Amino acid sequence: MKKYTLKKSIFQKEPQKSARQFQVDYQNELNPAQYGAVTSVNGPHLIIAGAGTGKTRTIVFRVAYLVELGVRPESILLLTFTRKAAQEMLRRATSILDSRCEKVAGGTFHSFANMILRRYAPLIGFDPAFTILDQSDAEDVVNLLRTQLRLDKRKRRFPKKQLLYTLFSRSVNTQETIKDILTEDYPQYLQELETIQQLHERYNEYKRQYNLMDYDDLLVHLKTLLEKNKKVCDELAGRYKYIMVDEYQDTNRIQADIADLLASKHRNLMVVGDDSQSIYSFRGATIRNILEFPDRYEDCNMITLEENYRSTQPVLNVANEILKRGRE
Amino acid sequence: MQRHKFQKELYTNKGSGTTPSIITAATENMQSKFVVQRVLELREEGVPLNDIAVLFRSSFHSFDLEIELNKAGIPYVKFGGFKFMETAHIKDIVSYLKVLENPRDVVAWNRIMVLVDGVGPRTAEKVISDILQHKVNGSSESTRSFWSTYNNYPDKLTDLFDVIKQIASGDIPPADKIGIILRHYTPQFKQKYDDYRKRQKDLEMFQTICERYKSVNSLLSDMALEPPSESVSDITPTGSEDEYLILSTIHSAKGLEWHTVFVMYCLEGRFPSYRSADSPDEMDEERRLMYVACTRAKENLYITYPLNIYDRESGLILTKPSRFLEGLEAHTEQWILDEED
Repeated sequence: MKKYTLKKSIFQKEPQKSARQFQVDYQNELNPAQYGAVTSVNGPHLIIAGAGTGKTRTIVFRVAYLVELGVRPESILLLTFTRKAAQEMLRRATSILDSRCEKVAGGTFHSFANMILRRYAPLIGFDPAFTILDQSDAEDVVNLLRTQLRLDKRKRRFPKKQLLYTLFSRSVNTQETIKDILTEDYPQYLQELETIQQLHERYNEYKRQYNLMDYDDLLVHLKTLLEKNKKVCDELAGRYKYIMVDEYQDTNRIQADIADLLASKHRNLMVVGDDSQSIYSFRGATIRNILEFPDRYEDCNMITLEENYRSTQPVLNVANEILKRGRE
Repeated sequence: MQRHKFQKELYTNKGSGTTPSIITAATENMQSKFVVQRVLELREEGVPLNDIAVLFRSSFHSFDLEIELNKAGIPYVKFGGFKFMETAHIKDIVSYLKVLENPRDVVAWNRIMVLVDGVGPRTAEKVISDILQHKVNGSSESTRSFWSTYNNYPDKLTDLFDVIKQIASGDIPPADKIGIILRHYTPQFKQKYDDYRKRQKDLEMFQTICERYKSVNSLLSDMALEPPSESVSDITPTGSEDEYLILSTIHSAKGLEWHTVFVMYCLEGRFPSYRSADSPDEMDEERRLMYVACTRAKENLYITYPLNIYDRESGLILTKPSRFLEGLEAHTEQWILDEED
């Protein structure tokens, strides 16, 4: 009788061999924590990247890793703080792997919202040809309405267009009421509260009437679209199977909600950031997004990058001491 | 219980490095001079200017330093906020001093006249043309007599001219002149700027700076924006004209790194700022700002603070080093500044 041996190597993948299937030598290029982050694939992940610990590098390699695993590049969505950051990361991913990485969907929350809303505008009562108001356009509209209501002829002083727009925008982004913002920072205008609220309503009506959206509207309308239209939400979740959010400590409430909604079906959401570098609360960012991520995703895999490539140890000792003495 | 941070401890496998320093300065100006001298020394040692950054909590914290940098001919760029002299409200104040020095300064005249409620560009133009035709030669003697005799302008402008008359006396030190101007200017200031609370600090800072000057003339000269180009060439090697020291608010320094970093005004009331004292959340964010500032440094970190700063808004004298310096003794060298006779 002929003896035929079933070879172990055929049926049991050796880790080393599987590593060699990749074009990029991830293990060698990255430190263990970075490698852990890069090779985390399905499910929710929270990557805490301390200052100077190679956060961008980690994101770049993870994009390449997903593509090498066979994930369709078009189904990866990378949301960053600036468009330039997204372009730069995808360019680097392309250079370490290949041009497949160019097809990854990357941009800011705003640019992503714009793209999606163009497609689904009628579902939220807009024409797909809506115009985006930049800040100075938006201020001009506010000023027009201010004049129409004859608020410029008032004896008593009434806030000017810049402040009005700041109030509206902050209220949308932080979900604080205009009353609270006035009480906190502009108490001299509290007596004008009702008129300011009325003006805010008119501003919103005006934009709807003339098919206009300001920057905040892009986020607000996208969130509404995802919440109100289960079908659209599922469609987008089906298209974007892996979602990555950079600078997560600087996201505002609406942006975190959008990321959660997009990931609601597959839950493949990786957020990257450093809670210790959350310094933009005055723009509406909330540190609670990153700090409470493990509560929103109890099964999340958390990895902390602590090896610093920028500073000397004496400088890091100072930084560590400053952090250590902060509230737990 | 609510979480306020994730635990982390940064480390590096790089070799050893220089111990960071905490520098105590007796005055704000000594703090500025320390930065200037240290920058010049580092430049000598071969550290390019654009690999050095001076970071601060609020934009107005760099005003005194900017004047010293101009004097020393060190070119700089500033990120976050405006350059001191470019801010509209400082321009307003300086315009009063300018017409005092040169009554033919039409631009300055126009600026302070349209601040007066009810005075439009047309009225201003008419009055300015009157002033110009009055054959004032600008010397201090005739300027003074001009202001004491010529006062038949529209009622609305009487207050303004009273102020100019008051400050035209040479006996009053510049800081007191600013005091008089501010009393007149403050209502207009609140009228003109919705965010006047934020700008208020700049005005106070300007008054403090003026205290060091004996004459308006030398004050205005020092305020001139362009650094003298002759002295720039002393420290800038040929071919690297684009070398600038970086001045930046901490917010605008995020994500960046430099060979040497100075963090100024680490003083209770400045950094952390007063406003954060009541809110633990805001105080946490101030601490994170300090962390962001320190982690920008690759090799050298200098943390500085002046003593005995009078804060006009609160009426308090700020004397305590920032709470963020607590516990740093073991990790830093402490320097005290001394001045050569």
